[in-house]
Amino acid sequence: MVEAGAWWTLLAAPGLLVVLAALAVAGNAVLDARNAGRPVGVAGAVRPFLDVPRALVVQPRRLPAADRLLWRAGVVTVPVAAVLSTLVIPFGGHVVADLSVGVVWFNAMEVLTWAGLWLAGWGPNAAFSLVGGYRFLAQGLAYELPLMFALISAATGAESLRVGDIAAAQDGLWYAVWMPVAFAAYLAGVLAFSFLGPFAYPAGRDLAGGVLGEVSGVDRLLLRAGRWLWLASGAAMAVPLFLGGGAGPGLPAWAWSLVKTLLVLGLLVWGLRRLPVIRADRYVEFAWVVLIPLTIVQALVPAVVNLNR
Amino acid sequence: MDLTGLGLRVTAARPHVLLATVPGGAAVRLAAERLLSSRDWPQVPTPAQADLLLVAGPDSPESQAALERLWRDLPAPRARVHARTADEVEAALDAGRALLGSPAVQHESAALPAEAGGHQEGEHGSRERHEGDGQAPGHGGEGGGQGERRADDAHGGPGGGHTPHDAGQDREAEHGDGGQAHDDQDADGHGNPGGHGGHGGHGGGRTEMPGGLPMAEQGADRDGLALDQLHVSLGPFLADWPAGLTIRLVLQGDVVQRAGVDEPATPAAGGAAEPYWAQPWLRVASGERVPVGEAVRRRAAAHLDSLGRLLAVAGWPAEAVRARRLRDDLLSGAPRAAVAPRLERFTRRVGRSRTLAWLTSGIGVVTAQKAREAGVSGPAARAGGDVTARYRQWLTDIRRDLPRLEDAAPLDVAMEESPRGLWSAEDPPSAALIALLPRLLEGAELAAARLVVASLDPEPDELAARSAVEVARG
Repeated sequence: MVEAGAWWTLLAAPGLLVVLAALAVAGNAVLDARNAGRPVGVAGAVRPFLDVPRALVVQPRRLPAADRLLWRAGVVTVPVAAVLSTLVIPFGGHVVADLSVGVVWFNAMEVLTWAGLWLAGWGPNAAFSLVGGYRFLAQGLAYELPLMFALISAATGAESLRVGDIAAAQDGLWYAVWMPVAFAAYLAGVLAFSFLGPFAYPAGRDLAGGVLGEVSGVDRLLLRAGRWLWLASGAAMAVPLFLGGGAGPGLPAWAWSLVKTLLVLGLLVWGLRRLPVIRADRYVEFAWVVLIPLTIVQALVPAVVNLNR
Repeated sequence: MDLTGLGLRVTAARPHVLLATVPGGAAVRLAAERLLSSRDWPQVPTPAQADLLLVAGPDSPESQAALERLWRDLPAPRARVHARTADEVEAALDAGRALLGSPAVQHESAALPAEAGGHQEGEHGSRERHEGDGQAPGHGGEGGGQGERRADDAHGGPGGGHTPHDAGQDREAEHGDGGQAHDDQDADGHGNPGGHGGHGGHGGGRTEMPGGLPMAEQGADRDGLALDQLHVSLGPFLADWPAGLTIRLVLQGDVVQRAGVDEPATPAAGGAAEPYWAQPWLRVASGERVPVGEAVRRRAAAHLDSLGRLLAVAGWPAEAVRARRLRDDLLSGAPRAAVAPRLERFTRRVGRSRTLAWLTSGIGVVTAQKAREAGVSGPAARAGGDVTARYRQWLTDIRRDLPRLEDAAPLDVAMEESPRGLWSAEDPPSAALIALLPRLLEGAELAAARLVVASLDPEPDELAARSAVEVARG
């Protein structure tokens, strides 16, 4: 069982999340460098982090009739929600808050991103930025329900919304193995709420950056950090939901959690570059006609199994 | 101040570059893209994200006003450099880095509003203020000037999306259920954006416009609703966009209602104006003997350049980078054996991608017959179909050209078409492609419209060659 509420977890969870997100950024930079034919190495991997001190000296943007309050609120919401989502994710034998409705908490934090990104698009009072904000809502309509059914599948399998219980219920057989559709829908959902790779539609290059097009300086840093923090958080959550949490032979639980999280994160970073941006107008159709029925059937499987036990 | 100094040094170590290609600047753009990629200086699509404005191409008086607007929108610390020829790019980038890293220069440029195009953004102190300076001194007093600037932007804006004038309208469009024409309270940022229409009355008595922005006019949309229209122009400096092309859109939501193409800006008078991609054909026209291999190589590189653009617009940056690397290798004269395997892998991966085909199918259909009627002769006409058919045609053409990269036979302009169609200085192939655009864009969503333009990828520089012919004929 997991031990909840130790004081140091309150510092360790965000710290670990930032480290994981930084690893994802570095990994992505390495893949970028290899793709562009630049030498692959540590120097190239850490170059994206030069943007951090840079952000501190960049002049803030002043646009006419910008909605500064809501803009700032939206920009801050995205990374803050990502950090808050980790409160319920057990890492090895520890978790910050072992809520009885942990899955719902995670999902609620993720939905906060909807508001955050939409506001970030609305705030600057610019056409492309606003279109970008609305794109995230359209994308949300497509990815959210399959993601929820994926979460429900795992919760039904364990007959609990407590994340620690879900991890413990996978004794012997991971949910990723007998709920592959839910696992895939969940991973797609992670990319979608991180608005990265094939789901970078709200920040599309065709919109000259969309929601990211008008932000500069610290605001920009927060929004971009929010993406990668969400990716890391989603990867970490996949471990207790589908990969048996910290269970494993030989190594201590925290080591298994770390290894599994890094593997999922690596898979996601690698997957980012495999597909073009899936526009919401096409994805909604696919999601509602194919994904939702599939994930509903998937959620039915553990329900039937549990009834017959 | 120490922090500022560190920040400047860091900024200079990895500047984010806004590449603005002016008409006639294709060769400079290629050199710049190659160099930026090898140095890992990110290329950004909007001024908000940029530290360094790199103007690529010959002097172009027509583009000056738009360039000034771009420069004005760059947040400090910033630098602006101009590379007129491909050879100057490296020096220009180094100069830009030096400017960015020097606290003295940054201080000075920030202190001189004149250099900031008359806009007040630059008092030095503002760089260190991050919070709560929305109503900074001098901002409110500038209302009139700001209004002018916005109107300006809306009608010739750099296309980076920072057209606040339009955005004001866009906001209206989202609330566009009638009756809120003067709801400036809302648009001023104090109202609740979630309040749809219901509070249309409470600002109605005031005639002052939010931030001096005029309100949107309304028009019927395709579903028979009266929605606000906003005027957005794409180009001339949009990222992954044909340099110098400006398309004015009337949008309702993100659906294009009307599209009109501006007469493309032409390079300044002079020899430097020849369209880079059609150079071998132009040289033959002027009586030179050009080997077929060279023309074929240029054509394949042109298709790869177009593919790079299309893939970037389609949101597949990894493959876009690959396309551009292959393009650069071809242009640098790499032997066939060196590029063939990679080219083969690239064409297979992109050509067989079901996802990309699914995302681009049914968009921007031009049948072979329609294309011929419109005078299109190149890959777009042979493809005869949607965006998918056109990019696959490019890939097919590249594969077909691959064995002939070293062919030394003389180029026959009647047999070999230039990258965008059979070359004719009086009627360059890009003219027909541009003429196709308005009809294809109307009714498309913004994302689809970008894909359509990228899949035809007209080269406005070719039109300059036509005007040169007309001038020569008197």
